[in-house]
Amino acid sequence: MNKMAGTGVVLADIRKSFGNVDVIHGVNLTIAEGSFVVFVGPSGCGKSTLLRMIAGLEEVTDGEIAINGRDVTDLDPSERGIAMVFQSYALYPHMSVRDNLGFGLKMMRTKAEEIDARVNSAASILKIDHLLDRRPGQLSGGQRQRVAIGRAIVRKPDVFLFDEPLSNLDAELRVSMRIEIARLHRELGNTMIYVTHDQTEAMTLADNIVVLRNGRIEQQGSPREVYENPDNTFVAGFIGSPRMNLLDATWSGDDYVELAGQKIRSPIAAQTLQEGEKITFGIRPENLSVMENAGEAIPAKVDFAEYLGGTQYLYCQLDDGQPLVAEYRADHAVETGSKIWIQCAAADHRIFDVGGSRVR
Amino acid sequence: MIASRTRRARKAFRGQIAYHGAGIAIALFFLAPLFITFLASFRHGTQARQPAIPPWPTDGFSLDSYRSLDTFGAGVWQHTVNSLAVSLATVVLTVVVSLLAGYGFSRYRFPLKNVLFVLIIATLMIPFQSILTPLFIILAKLGLSNSLIGLTLVYVTLQLPFSVFMMRNAFDAVPKEIEEAARIDGARDLRLLVCVLLPLVLPGVATVAIFAFLNAWNEFLAALVLLSSNEKYTLPVLMMAVRAGRLGAINWGAVQAGVAVMTIPCLIVFLLLQRYYMRGLMAGAVK
Repeated sequence: MNKMAGTGVVLADIRKSFGNVDVIHGVNLTIAEGSFVVFVGPSGCGKSTLLRMIAGLEEVTDGEIAINGRDVTDLDPSERGIAMVFQSYALYPHMSVRDNLGFGLKMMRTKAEEIDARVNSAASILKIDHLLDRRPGQLSGGQRQRVAIGRAIVRKPDVFLFDEPLSNLDAELRVSMRIEIARLHRELGNTMIYVTHDQTEAMTLADNIVVLRNGRIEQQGSPREVYENPDNTFVAGFIGSPRMNLLDATWSGDDYVELAGQKIRSPIAAQTLQEGEKITFGIRPENLSVMENAGEAIPAKVDFAEYLGGTQYLYCQLDDGQPLVAEYRADHAVETGSKIWIQCAAADHRIFDVGGSRVR
Repeated sequence: MIASRTRRARKAFRGQIAYHGAGIAIALFFLAPLFITFLASFRHGTQARQPAIPPWPTDGFSLDSYRSLDTFGAGVWQHTVNSLAVSLATVVLTVVVSLLAGYGFSRYRFPLKNVLFVLIIATLMIPFQSILTPLFIILAKLGLSNSLIGLTLVYVTLQLPFSVFMMRNAFDAVPKEIEEAARIDGARDLRLLVCVLLPLVLPGVATVAIFAFLNAWNEFLAALVLLSSNEKYTLPVLMMAVRAGRLGAINWGAVQAGVAVMTIPCLIVFLLLQRYYMRGLMAGAVK
């Protein structure tokens, strides 16, 4: 039980199977108290299942969950000291906002004055005081989401769980609610666990990102760490938009990579690669410098240019046919079919072996 | 400009007239039999055996028809009380059982769940007249023959397949997240069902209740077969006796009065429960 000790949320070798299908394969994770952790991954990676297991809505097949040093693996959801905000809000449609907020406390047989006080304070934190007597059906999407968050705050939980809470909101509202949630975390200081498939949410909100795939943790770390130092090709490709270019290349020894017929110097510390070994060469679009005149660089042909206002993305093809995306800040448009030359600093190279693991 | 506006206004007005006119005409068409029966039941006793034209009382209101109705069987009060007792008990039992069964079928996973469900629905295909004899024997064995409790149990049994089906659908329509949110809020088991889910499936409950009431209230054959003493008969059995008349002479006034007595509770139940058919009760819960 030693590993269960300490504060925050501890997941020890958590497994989950539905019938014969294993969806979570032994997850070990320690979430520090007061931190904001985001589970991110493609759909079906088990991030929601993991969150629901912490909430107690899904039974744990094997392993243990502890919250603030207390083993909660077999406890009822209401006894775990958690509160959850659902993607679909899940408000009680037949109750007023006030009753929605106070329902949990009522179930715990809290005194009416206490309920009133806590509901009012949560409402003022979220600026929904004027909506207290309305029904959920009379609220807009953003207001409903505030009520759902308010219902969580009122419970004064140790841990907040968010299951893709902003997915149903429109783009503008999503940004403002994101800022709101960040502010809430700053003010309340509780542990928050947040599930999303939206990278922007993950990057902006998290102290710590946990990238999941097929029920396994691929990498965890600060947003900067995960973005700049991906452990494998999956994380490299998943975090960042547009995604990192992952190109087939060959290690030609002596710190050189052969890419599309060109040799690029790419020094790495550990010389574990053999000469002639196939590798994956990773480089982010924003780290490529584009030249429109021939030079000491890799030539590419522009298939398509995407203009985004401040910048443009060039979708190109290397000489060997591999696709590549490059960011190009220029005051003029690049024509489709034109030829460009690209360069990148050695510090921005990310090299992965055939199995997809990072070679550092 | 102004001419075209008045023309448009006139056209809209004509449209409104046609719309409401048609509505009123159809409403009258459907309400006419009810009105005629109610009015005719207040005709004088001397008019009871005359053709019902005009149907309304021509020489003053009188309760003669109701008085003569009361001379049939064990008195109309006794039979009304029997019918009410059986119908209300059927409603309560049907709602309670189908609520729990519907919840179970909708939310729990257990072996042979769908087979069981289909089996329950399949019983709808058996005409109940064909099992009347076995039912009679079973009730006799249970010591419930010629008892209103026995009759109620039979009605509940007949009502359940449809009701369970109805309630399962009602629970299926409630988003799972609402239930999960309630579990996190600490509502469990019966409290979860009563405080959170029941209000959300009220339209389903209202439908089940209306159907259970109407079917139990109007049922004739089982009541006739399973009950044997005069003072236990329900209203439809009484009505049959009234309709058959005495020595070939039918008191139409009593028949009209009987129809009125039988209709009023149905109207009350329907008017009371129809407001729970409110659409959009679920609006605002999710999305």
